[in-house]
Amino acid sequence: MQAPLIKPALAIYTALFLVFLYGPLLVLTILSFQTGPNGGPQFPIIEWSTYWYRDIFGLTPPSRIAPLPIQQSLTRSLMLASMTMVVSTVLGVLSAQAFRTRFKGSGVVFYLIVLGMMVPGVLVGLGLALVANALGVDRTWWGTAFVLHVVYTFPFAFLVILAIFNRFDASVEEASWSLGVSPIRTFRKVTFPLIFPGVLSAMLFAFTLSYDEFSRTLFSSGRDLTLPLAIYGTFSIEIHPNIFAFGVLTTLFSFALLAVYAILMALSVRRAKRVAVQEES
Amino acid sequence: MPPRRRRFPTAYWLIAPGVVWMTLFLVIPILMIVYVSFWTQSTFKIEPVLTTRSWEAFFGSDTYVGALWTTIRIWLIVLCTTLVVGYPTALFVGLFVRNKTLSTALLVLCVIPFWTSFLIRVLAWRPMLGKEGAINIILQALHITSAPIDALLFTELSVIIGMTQIYCVFMVGPIAFMLGRIDPNVIEAARDLGAGFFRIFRTIILPLSMPGVIVGAIFVSVMVLGEFATASALSGRKVNMLGNIIVTQVGSLKWAFAAVVGVVLTVLMGIVVAAFLRVVDLKREL
Repeated sequence: MQAPLIKPALAIYTALFLVFLYGPLLVLTILSFQTGPNGGPQFPIIEWSTYWYRDIFGLTPPSRIAPLPIQQSLTRSLMLASMTMVVSTVLGVLSAQAFRTRFKGSGVVFYLIVLGMMVPGVLVGLGLALVANALGVDRTWWGTAFVLHVVYTFPFAFLVILAIFNRFDASVEEASWSLGVSPIRTFRKVTFPLIFPGVLSAMLFAFTLSYDEFSRTLFSSGRDLTLPLAIYGTFSIEIHPNIFAFGVLTTLFSFALLAVYAILMALSVRRAKRVAVQEES
Repeated sequence: MPPRRRRFPTAYWLIAPGVVWMTLFLVIPILMIVYVSFWTQSTFKIEPVLTTRSWEAFFGSDTYVGALWTTIRIWLIVLCTTLVVGYPTALFVGLFVRNKTLSTALLVLCVIPFWTSFLIRVLAWRPMLGKEGAINIILQALHITSAPIDALLFTELSVIIGMTQIYCVFMVGPIAFMLGRIDPNVIEAARDLGAGFFRIFRTIILPLSMPGVIVGAIFVSVMVLGEFATASALSGRKVNMLGNIIVTQVGSLKWAFAAVVGVVLTVLMGIVVAAFLRVVDLKREL
């Protein structure tokens, strides 16, 4: 572009922006190696140690500092995220498939679905808690909280798969139908493999969003805590570096998840390429 | 190919589960909030006897009305800060970096922090902003200040700083996406005709990036308006947004009051999103 100074200026700005974005995470990582149990969640680092990492796994001698209640809440969160992932992806595929034909009321339905990701979590959480109270239904993480998680992640799954369908060549399907293959078999053998990358992305979205969701869960999950709720519980008491160590570990876990996604994605792209080559030859 | 007239019912069967789910677990709960806001609240329970007492209590109380203004103020400020902080980055990533790999890498770099738990990202600001926090240490080491700045943590400022960092990526993403779609030839042509950068920016880049700004603004607004965790963690419960009021009211079993705040929040949200959607057609931009 014309003004020669603008590009380097923006480059420096972007670098500063990244510092702003990563600063707190860097500080969090450094402080997670604070010595324990007397070292606090602030500078200076008294002595470098892995005390707080061992504390998370219960490998340190008991002290006055309460351990993070993660064992059971972690299991619950993983199960909840898996259930949410499956259901919202199925709903997303079904709905996006419906949107490939024009049907009456599709505009209203579109906004009804998108509303799920728009409404503040604390609001739907409150609403569902009120409904559950009125009906005398117990609030549980696998019931009331689960349906709200799907309300939140289903729109994301829907939009991702809708975007895939927008770039979709329908003539392959029509070819399959005209050869007398049933619609359900066509979907399984032709359509689904073609939208598989979108399905994978939708699953990743749904899993990570549900795994980290807490404002919807707060009022709707009842007594048993999910992982984010366990972390939220530490807000009201004094925080210790164990929560920072835990933050570092969960980030690493998320990266592992991302790596699995990347591998599956690469495999499916390679398979698609191989199929394409076979068709050409 | 299945007969034409069968395809309409098929679409309805496919969409039905989603519509039923959203109606049962999204629309009915929202209607329930409106209904319960008119219930009669006694100390520990609510009864379905309709009254406007909770509404009068809300608008008659300085605390609640104050929380409404705080919410609106923080929302407007964070909307501005995320835009001001995010736009130049989006401009660089979306327009100036022509190398596709590099611009994707930069965007991924912006998104990576999101794989840390939201709540832990909020808590991470405490050792940054505290009296013995990283920023105060750095400022003193550089001799910019002689004494630690107290006002950084447990104030409205800390809430705004935290929210800006957490939500600015939702601004950067859509804007960078829109800027990336601008045809370079248009800018080239403007330059050949002798337009300077700022003129090109004002007449071409800014208008074409507007849909991205609006989409980003919707994301940020929706998330900030319903916030309560950042406000409670970084202000030491001094800054009360509508979300915080809901949480405390539910905590003391004042469901009807909480429902009133919920309706106010819904109305506020509805006005904001509807206003933004008048400017841009979300369905077309996706």
